Amino acid sequence: MDYGRIAVVHGPNLNMLGKREIGIYGGKTLDQINADVAAEALRLGVQLDFYQANSEGALVDYLHGCLGRVDGVVINAGAYTHYSVALRDAIGAIKIPVIEVHISNIYKREPFRHVSMIAPVCVGQICGFGSHSYVLGLRALMETTTDPWLA
Amino acid sequence: MMKKKFLVISGPNLNLLGTRKVSIYKDGSLEDIHLGLEKRARELDVLVDCLQFNSEGDIIDTLQKAPEDYAGVIINPGALAHYSYALRSAIGAMLVPCVEVFISNVHAREEFRHKSVIAAVCVGVVGGFGKKSYILALEALVNLVNT
Repeated sequence: MDYGRIAVVHGPNLNMLGKREIGIYGGKTLDQINADVAAEALRLGVQLDFYQANSEGALVDYLHGCLGRVDGVVINAGAYTHYSVALRDAIGAIKIPVIEVHISNIYKREPFRHVSMIAPVCVGQICGFGSHSYVLGLRALMETTTDPWLA
Repeated sequence: MMKKKFLVISGPNLNLLGTRKVSIYKDGSLEDIHLGLEKRARELDVLVDCLQFNSEGDIIDTLQKAPEDYAGVIINPGALAHYSYALRSAIGAMLVPCVEVFISNVHAREEFRHKSVIAAVCVGVVGGFGKKSYILALEALVNLVNT
């Protein structure tokens, strides 16, 4: 399958990037990160839709709307990663490839962040590389439905 | 300036890639992975050395010497990821960054594979993307070392 349009989805508190806990999340704002991802998308020849919501229900609604509209999703679900069964079900339901990304290495942090509810229904996970995790996530997605082995 | 060099280590049973559990690990060999890494390294203008060990102790010996020659390490610890505290200590003691990779999505498999004891001492983790996991890890490490 060729990728035409990909959704980049940011969960709760990621609108505060660059303004809070810079030691963990880096100094870039969400707009700056989106610009980096957009530059990579241009290079790869795909269109991106960006979405950020603090509300779990809004994220579920948005993911449902991705079905039939986009070819894949890169998601940083923020704290919802670790407890939102609803988000997990939404990802499982939409049957399009979803890549899980995190800015920080979640395994270096508090134990409650070591478990991802959404990981089993995602293609794979990239974490710990700062805002570059999103760029890597986009690259990973681009080769997902073509056989990753042969890529 | 000398090109930066990175070490790629694959752990136990990864020498059998392409001959076992093709549905999980796909049908390429470890040699295919190494060739892919060497190609991407040339594009990124860096060098890679790719090694595989079945013995935990051999990996530890190699990691202890790695910072002398390498700017960073990529490791697919295989099953050792889930229980080798010795490997965790060896990585934790290194003065160069380490990235953990997995071919399969370990979180979609048996429960004992959900926990990595080495993830916390690595810069980050890339898993689930087949052979591409290694390539993405190399890109991540080169980006990290160059910024």
